[in-house]
Amino acid sequence: MKTVIVARPGDGNFVSRFFYGVKSLLTGMRVTFRYLVHPSTVVTQQYPENRKTLKLAERVRAQLSFTFDENGFHKCTACHICEQQCPNASIHVMDRKPAGSTKSELDTFIWRLDSCTFCNLCVMVCPFQVLKMNSNFESSVYDQKLLVYNLTPYAGPASSVLMKVADVEERKKLIDARGPYDGPTALSGFPLAGISKQVFPETTQIGAPQ
Amino acid sequence: MSVSSVSQDIASHLGSAPEISAAYFVAGLLGTVTFLTVMALILIYAERKVAAHFQCRLGPMRVGWHGLLQSVADALKLILKEDIVPYSADKFLHALAPVFAVVAMLLSLIAIPTSSRLALSDSNIGVLYISAVSGLGVLGILLGGWSSNNKWSLLGAMRAGAQIISYELSATLSVLVVIMLSGSLKLSAIIHSQEAGWWIWRAPGVGLLAFLLFIVSSTAEINRTPFDLAEGESELTAGFHTEYSGMRFAFFFLAEYLNLFVVSALGATLFLGGWMPFHIGNFSGFNAAMDLIPEFIWFMGKTAFLIFLSMWFRWTFPRLRVDQLMKLEWKVLMPIGFINLLLAAMMTLFGFYFFATT
Ligand code: SF4
Ligand code: SF4
Repeated sequence: MKTVIVARPGDGNFVSRFFYGVKSLLTGMRVTFRYLVHPSTVVTQQYPENRKTLKLAERVRAQLSFTFDENGFHKCTACHICEQQCPNASIHVMDRKPAGSTKSELDTFIWRLDSCTFCNLCVMVCPFQVLKMNSNFESSVYDQKLLVYNLTPYAGPASSVLMKVADVEERKKLIDARGPYDGPTALSGFPLAGISKQVFPETTQIGAPQ
Repeated sequence: MSVSSVSQDIASHLGSAPEISAAYFVAGLLGTVTFLTVMALILIYAERKVAAHFQCRLGPMRVGWHGLLQSVADALKLILKEDIVPYSADKFLHALAPVFAVVAMLLSLIAIPTSSRLALSDSNIGVLYISAVSGLGVLGILLGGWSSNNKWSLLGAMRAGAQIISYELSATLSVLVVIMLSGSLKLSAIIHSQEAGWWIWRAPGVGLLAFLLFIVSSTAEINRTPFDLAEGESELTAGFHTEYSGMRFAFFFLAEYLNLFVVSALGATLFLGGWMPFHIGNFSGFNAAMDLIPEFIWFMGKTAFLIFLSMWFRWTFPRLRVDQLMKLEWKVLMPIGFINLLLAAMMTLFGFYFFATT
């Protein structure tokens, strides 16, 4: 590693400090001039127009989402770890036990965008790396109820269990489709802390998560 | 500026019937005001764009092509905005302060020649006059800070007062060098004395040093970063114009940007030959080629270069502390200025500069 020895402005006599100061100012001017003459250094994104080509950093935490394997199955085992450590109780993992089985599997995964602080804890603790934060930041909706929704598109066991079933048709029987507002969400009339029970007839699913 | 001087010419041809002179006076006034307003709008736009690119941003992009009409929109907003006067402010002085700022700037602008034929007033004490009336601007700042009845405003105004008066000294010391070398206070004579070469390089070392001194101290005089202690957003909200809004704020803003123009124009006139094309001694072929570019363009180009330099400083350097500011002036710039003046005096005496005529 390169070690940079920085002379402090207090070092040396008056004349050397003077020239040190001048030199540092010139260095600064060189840096800013380089930015001026290199338009490629501009980081501004003209947002609404460049929606298609928007470049967002990996670290952006805009919405919580599931990750899926190449067959479109998730690895969630409904272990509830993410639910337990969420500091804001923003996650509700609903599990179910299929008839004739002793093992629980995921039914719906309710996430409350309205109370989440995007601390990323749930993403970090999940033992199967199911959760991730995506960069889909256009979250505004006309009703708070639309901000509580289900992340999984189907109810059923984790992909490891599903893949043990060789027959594709058999596999399909094990899972049931789930919509974004299925399960105990505010939109399906479930009482949730902080959300008014009043029903707005004009509530539509504008801005529903994809 | 140009319109009014042309109108003066016409007026002198038509005789001096009072109605005609009055009409031309009004026309000249309107022309000048329009020129200055457009100038200020362009400067504000340029400043925002340059600042943005210095900081890896784009700057105004929405109003007009690449935000060209942004400063027009801003000006309209400021004109239409409510003009709030604090309840316990000194109403009369509060209204007077921005006028002082603008008038001081306008007065100093009068004396600057923009080409060999276009000059509003080519007085034989031009340099003295400019340094006198530009000192009036500080009165506007002091009045504004005092009359607002607000601690931040007062602090900002006091800082501005101390700063402008201090830096006036080294600005004048550096200007004196050029006056001594050219032997005149008349701006057009100073420009003509640079026919063979600009003072910045014709007087070896001394000219450049005087130029640098002038740049530093004039940046301080017009309260621009790194010497913007009078406004110092992070310390004083907005300094002396904290309590100003709407039109009156626009006046301060206008004065600030036109001051930048005046100072740069003066620097270009004194050190870079004003409207004089770039000439080198007796290389007549080269000089003739340079003469093809109109004088006004030369003047504007040099001024624009100095303005750009000032913007470059503003968006690169950090702000000084109050004590550092005073130290820089009284312990660094002033002694250097005096030594430089002494050297210049000796140079003038012995004709020890390039293309000396005596
Ligand atoms: S990011 Fe934090 S607050 Fe949001 S759901 Fe995950 S654990 Fe809860
Ligand atoms: S998302 Fe991860 S932590 Fe949460 S229930 Fe599923 S497997 Fe467990």
